[in-house]
Amino acid sequence: MDSYRLLKYVRLAISHAVLIAFAAFAVFPIYYVIITSFSNVPTLASISIGSLIPRPSSLTLSAYYYILFKNPFFLWLKNSLIFGVSSMLIATAAAFLGAVALSRINMPGKSTLIYFIYVLTFFPFTVTVIPLYFMFAQLHLINTYYGLIIAYSGGSSIFGAYLGKIFIDTIPREFEEAAMIDGLGRFTAFARILLPMTGPVLAFVALTSFIGAYTDYVLANAFITSGKLWTLTLGMYYLAVTNRATLYNVFAAFAVLMGLPIFILFIALQKFLLRAYSLGGLKA
Amino acid sequence: MVKRDTFIGFLYLLPIIAIILFLTLYPIGYAVYISFTNFNLYHFFRYELVGLQNYITIIKSGALGSIFLQTIIWTVGSLVPMMAAGFVLALVLNQRDLVGRTVYMTFMLFPWAFPSFITILVWSGMWNYEYGIVNKIMALMGVHSIYWFNYVSTSWIALIITNLWLSFPYFTVVFSSALQGIPRELYETAYVDGASMFRRFTSITLPQMKNALSFVGISSFIFTWNNFYPIYLLTGGGPGTATEIFVVYAYQEAFSYSLYNIAAAYSIVDTIILAAFALIMLRISGIMKVIA
Repeated sequence: MDSYRLLKYVRLAISHAVLIAFAAFAVFPIYYVIITSFSNVPTLASISIGSLIPRPSSLTLSAYYYILFKNPFFLWLKNSLIFGVSSMLIATAAAFLGAVALSRINMPGKSTLIYFIYVLTFFPFTVTVIPLYFMFAQLHLINTYYGLIIAYSGGSSIFGAYLGKIFIDTIPREFEEAAMIDGLGRFTAFARILLPMTGPVLAFVALTSFIGAYTDYVLANAFITSGKLWTLTLGMYYLAVTNRATLYNVFAAFAVLMGLPIFILFIALQKFLLRAYSLGGLKA
Repeated sequence: MVKRDTFIGFLYLLPIIAIILFLTLYPIGYAVYISFTNFNLYHFFRYELVGLQNYITIIKSGALGSIFLQTIIWTVGSLVPMMAAGFVLALVLNQRDLVGRTVYMTFMLFPWAFPSFITILVWSGMWNYEYGIVNKIMALMGVHSIYWFNYVSTSWIALIITNLWLSFPYFTVVFSSALQGIPRELYETAYVDGASMFRRFTSITLPQMKNALSFVGISSFIFTWNNFYPIYLLTGGGPGTATEIFVVYAYQEAFSYSLYNIAAAYSIVDTIILAAFALIMLRISGIMKVIA
């Protein structure tokens, strides 16, 4: 019995060691960028191990001041939000309607469509981005809000429709049928009954489409040349890569301002999101 | 009734179909067309069909073989540690008598929760020679600083460690939920029958996880094969072209050199090779029927 208990303690000790090591690995870069954003770094080379555990006296908001008031941060933020929110709304609506049709309405060719959607994921974005650029140029949609919103609106709607179908398949049809007997039309029944029940999947589609547009660099870089339409990613790329003179604490402050809201949202919604991911990954 | 349903179903699917047609299918057709023309910087306004010439150029250039090999190194080299780490962590987190599982899980989510475009740039700073924290930490352990992105081998190490950081949370989460889906009675019966821990793992856990492991493995193979940002932002395909993969190379051909025809041809070659791999893996694992 004693050797059994000893074995158990050894097992738990090794487990904790593994988990602590990976948790530290996972958290460190985030911790590091937050600490750096509050430190006063006159030259890049002077960042040291010592600065990892900051003394209160060395903390400063100067990097934040610089990024917020010496750069067009708010303009970039406004543009990123316009692109993110618009494409989120379009993608989520399209995903919901598509999911309802794939799950509930009898029509030929549904499984072909699903295979087809899967095959589309094989194509790299470089296949579509060049033709899209020339298509949109012909339609005079380059350097406009509409152009990029349309280009982003695909977002995760295709995958979302597939995910939504799997999810709606698990909801008994009796729910809408009861509502239709009560005199609601089919569309109203879907909207009143299925829409709220599909919440977790739709939250997932909404967040991933928003993040897709919010953190896209490739399409924004191709479709936007006017500084007025610059997004946060273009600004960040400029500060981090193009303009090598940028101080690392300024970049860090930018990273925190741009990433932390998404981070908090993700952690707050983790239950919903993880359920949606498991659903997509593990239909097996 | 069926006809009417088909029509209404079509209306519901219209937005998705429009998105697929306008944003995916038409551009793909257009790209295939471009790959058969001489559309580039030198023939921007007047281009013509040139048959297979772009594909012949690619094959003759000698770059194709090494880019293919590098794409394999990137995909397999990333996937093996990512899946192994995710699977081990999921097994560790699945022990019922372990205290603090939810807290650990939340910490594991950190890399996933922060947008990767940003964290890749953060990592890029961390690998930097002069001020990067990786070299500072190594100095503490008495190891000399390294110019990570000047050598082929250290470039791959940096890329794969960064990609491991970006992706292991996904695998941990998905494998955890698959493990929780295994009926407990199976383990209890085996325990009563006196099966060892190792035996329970090989006879229950592994067979029950087979579908999850293959589906996630294949999907992640496809995703990693075409994963653009880590390489584009960290090494840009360098040193030289030693860490170029198909997507990054195609992107640079198009946006740095305006060789749209060559970029399109590379993208098509990329898709054909990936599709062949995916079909073989789907066939072997028998996962195809699970998708639909």
